[in-house]
Amino acid sequence: MKSLEDLARIKERALETIRLREMSEHPRIVVGMGTCGIAAGAREVVAAIMDELEKRKLSTVSVTQTGCIGLCAREPLVDVILPGQVPVTYGNITADKVRRIVAQHVVNGQPITEWAVNVKPVDTRSSE
Amino acid sequence: MEFYRSHVLVCAGTGCEASNSEALRRALREEFASRGLDKEIRVVETGCFGFCRFGPNIMVYPEGVFYCQVQVEDVPELVEEHFIKGRTLTRLLYHEPTDNVAVVDFNDIEFFKKQYRIVLKNCGVIDPENIEEYIARDGYLALGRAVTEMRPQDVIETVRKSGLRGRGGGGFPTGLKWEFAAKAQGTPKYVVCNADEGDPGAFMDRSTLEGDPHSVLEGMAIAGYAIGASRGFIYIRAEYPIAVRRLVIAIRQAREKGLLGKNIFNSGFDFDIEIRLGAGAFVCGEETALLTSIMGRRGEPRPRPPFPANSGLWGRPTIINNVETFANVPSIILKGPEWFASIGTEGSKGTKVFALAGKINNNGLVEVPMGTTLGDIVFDIGGGIPGRKRFKAAQTGGPSGGCIPVQHLNTPIDYESLSALGTIMGSGGLIVMDEDTCMVDLARFFLEFVQDESCGKCTPCRIGTKRMLEILDRIAHGEGKEGDIDLLVELGESIKASALCGLGQTAPNPVLSTIRYFRHEYEAHIRKKKCPASVCASLFHSPCQNTCPAEVDVPIYLDQIRQGLFIDAYETIMRNNPLPVICGRVCHHPCESRCRREQIDEPLAIKALKRFAADYALGSNGARPRVTPAPRNGKKVAVVGSGPAGLTAGYYLSLKGYSVTVFEALPVAGGMLSVGIPEYRLPKQVLNKEIEILRESGMEIRTGTALGKDFSLTDLKEQGYAAVFIAIGAHKDQRLAIPGEDLPGVVPGASFLRDVNLGRGMDVSGKAVVVVGGGNVAIDAARSAKRMGAADVTIVYRRRKEDMPAEAAEIEEAEREGIKITPMVNPVQVIGNGKVEALECVMMRPAEFDSSGRRRTVPIDKSEFLIKADVVIPAIGQVPESDPLADEGLAVGKGGVLSVNPDSYATNVPWVFAAGDCVTGPATVIEAIAAGKAAASSIDKFLGGDGVLLPELEVTRTVSHELLEDVTHREKVKTVPVSERLCSFCEVELSYTPDAAMREAARCLRCDIRE
Repeated sequence: MKSLEDLARIKERALETIRLREMSEHPRIVVGMGTCGIAAGAREVVAAIMDELEKRKLSTVSVTQTGCIGLCAREPLVDVILPGQVPVTYGNITADKVRRIVAQHVVNGQPITEWAVNVKPVDTRSSE
Repeated sequence: MEFYRSHVLVCAGTGCEASNSEALRRALREEFASRGLDKEIRVVETGCFGFCRFGPNIMVYPEGVFYCQVQVEDVPELVEEHFIKGRTLTRLLYHEPTDNVAVVDFNDIEFFKKQYRIVLKNCGVIDPENIEEYIARDGYLALGRAVTEMRPQDVIETVRKSGLRGRGGGGFPTGLKWEFAAKAQGTPKYVVCNADEGDPGAFMDRSTLEGDPHSVLEGMAIAGYAIGASRGFIYIRAEYPIAVRRLVIAIRQAREKGLLGKNIFNSGFDFDIEIRLGAGAFVCGEETALLTSIMGRRGEPRPRPPFPANSGLWGRPTIINNVETFANVPSIILKGPEWFASIGTEGSKGTKVFALAGKINNNGLVEVPMGTTLGDIVFDIGGGIPGRKRFKAAQTGGPSGGCIPVQHLNTPIDYESLSALGTIMGSGGLIVMDEDTCMVDLARFFLEFVQDESCGKCTPCRIGTKRMLEILDRIAHGEGKEGDIDLLVELGESIKASALCGLGQTAPNPVLSTIRYFRHEYEAHIRKKKCPASVCASLFHSPCQNTCPAEVDVPIYLDQIRQGLFIDAYETIMRNNPLPVICGRVCHHPCESRCRREQIDEPLAIKALKRFAADYALGSNGARPRVTPAPRNGKKVAVVGSGPAGLTAGYYLSLKGYSVTVFEALPVAGGMLSVGIPEYRLPKQVLNKEIEILRESGMEIRTGTALGKDFSLTDLKEQGYAAVFIAIGAHKDQRLAIPGEDLPGVVPGASFLRDVNLGRGMDVSGKAVVVVGGGNVAIDAARSAKRMGAADVTIVYRRRKEDMPAEAAEIEEAEREGIKITPMVNPVQVIGNGKVEALECVMMRPAEFDSSGRRRTVPIDKSEFLIKADVVIPAIGQVPESDPLADEGLAVGKGGVLSVNPDSYATNVPWVFAAGDCVTGPATVIEAIAAGKAAASSIDKFLGGDGVLLPELEVTRTVSHELLEDVTHREKVKTVPVSERLCSFCEVELSYTPDAAMREAARCLRCDIRE
């Protein structure tokens, strides 16, 4: 690292990687792996995800980790990011639940809204 | 065997065959063959997937993709996309019917909406073990700019102008600290990051280091450049292994990229960082002790000055900042000091990260602009308190801080306002406490913590906190003495003034702060030997008994029910509560909300079990135990009012030997029990039976005789009464004070119910009824109107439904019966010409918190709307009919309630006592019973007795059965189906069968047994 230009180059490269990843047609799964997530069972969840992807031969799905986003009460948190869709964050996920998430959401594109954290009731009242 | 990389299962069930799945299979096979895929992919016929509505269905293995309504025309595209390009063809996937929820951006959920993330901006977003993800989000750009484009003094000036203050808790201006170190003589200089986070319940720094370690490294490097240091240390406790591991990875990656080490950005600036592991001593979070520990010596503080900025590590100028402080620095450099200073309040700029812990739904980490109110953090971001419990207080600053009680929920959180409340910002632990927390116990917990963690170097901290802890222990064990509170305050103040370091100087804060806001709780422990929150176990047998205002010995009678000794159970209840038949139906059962079983599954159904025992005793006529009143002692006592308070006092005084006459103004006995509570909750026949039993004690009840109309206090004196107990309740409806309130068709709630109960209810059949209010009277009126044939019943309430004071079960039943509840709405005027035609209402929006911990509401401009109404029932509270009382010379206070001595229930007239709703305003049955009992004891003493109503009974507390510690759900109380209940006033809830009652009672965990 000798100059700001060097840094900018790394940034561009990293952004490119991220852009490729985000533009890609392949799903991404992100697991919260802070102390809170791990204490709540994130390691078992990751193992179940890897196992399920392996069984289904889904080699294009990427799995990454991240830190604590703050919602420790709902850990383990698992984000499922499908191309072109709003990422869905699942809370209180177990190894069993995540297998269903892989089958129903990652493979079949059907979010399991009852486990999702980032959902809101659809306001059925009139707008007046 | 041939190997197929994929299997396509096509449904050949009847349903799918009907939608032509055979043609689909053929088309698939032909398409695969034409593209040469038939050796790789096999089409299989399969049975029904059970999804015939969306047939033909196909399932692709191994992935398990499920396509619906696949037509022959779809086949080429499907094969092209899925089997050649390997992409799922989304348009053919099954789309779940929307279930009234929509997936929204994560930042749009309540938890995030009021947050503002500077420190945590990358946490939970990037991979903390990959430096490139940090760089992609402008990581290390601030360092690069600082060392290549700014002079050190420019960096310091930027930080100074931003207004950043130390986030470790002290709040010292960061720019100033850096300036001191920059100007200090002596080299080398050092940068230290204090990551020795030790407050119970705090984990802000750990999460930051785990989620975004590079932001701290970058902040430290910038600080190093600013003060002229080339070495930095992170002092982190070994209990944070994940944070340590991520820091190690981050430092390695930063070195590899040349972002730490020699000649960073070719600027000639060298900086590197080492990790020092702490052993977890709390005192090492104190800066001088921390520095001593880094140097390899015993972690003890030393007096300041000299301050570390002048003489820190190895006597050299050293800055020491907290994790969060450093993590703020890169953003300040990049976005400028003006941007940072624009966030927050006058004296506190930027944001603060808080770790939400304790009794709160969203335990976790939040970052909010300084000046956000405590209420917003707890309720909007934190999601409020679990289990319908009430917020009591929040502790900030951990063992060095203090508590913020409910009346200060509107306080903007910043350094100044917290210190005005007697607490500190601290590093960001925010422990939320609900009504189940005992503040004496809380203070004891924190003091025990600092006692353990005191390094022992100075006497005030080592011995002073020990003495304070001994006093608190004494109080918690019921051995507190008058003067203990003052002694604690005196000790606390002198420790604060004389201890050597921050640990000792702040150690008394939790005690002083809880005394400041919860002195009455200390007094209850010391004087009444009572722990109101049922925590200090030496002071009570079981939480349920301790919580019951009448102190009914719940675990004993539950055990009797479990053993089938139903009559014994009834007798146990009767000792403390002479109205079990009534309470078994209408008590608001505060006991259940403290039942420890709730932590396993659900609380015991104490109310329903009480009803079972009472109904059993009532039904067993001959076998029901009869009381034996003491011989008459020749003294006469008059009781005015035959509600629960009057009946209870009369009963106990009568048992004791007094000749008691109860005067009741209404034509029926029972007060609100009779004319306030509708038949479907408390049948008159049952009520009258219970009153009959009380009469067996010898008391006489005269109905239709009102004080101030039919007799006066002077008359009673002349008739030889030696004492009078006034318990006339609160029957007068409060007015809405809006135009149109006097139109025919407006009937206040208590009057409406009184008329219904006396059999002269108004005709509401086929009419639209609107009830105003959220309490039990409102719900009772609405449910009664529904039973009287009202076409449409609506309740309007000014706050949220969760804030309604009525019992949750009552609200639920009302809705089940078809009553519409419209919250966040307030009436403005009753509209009509000669009779009610509509109620004009306005929509409300939430505003600041009131002293009850609920949000006030304020009208939304121009949001008025009409609700069609033939009858309007305002039910917003009642007050006592105080005029006759005042005429008798009794002191009447604010709200028309009688003023009495809270311990003796004596009024200003020496021989007159009073209790119940006419003293407290509308309250609950069990509170009236408890007050009636206490007043009876006081009257007995006044008349020369010993005040003992019933001799203390020896009970043996032993386990009669094995305790059920596995999940065992509560026995359901059966209710009459809605369709049947609405055509009459028949009782809605049914009693347990003996078997069900025994099963339910067996769930008791016997908290009263201590071994």
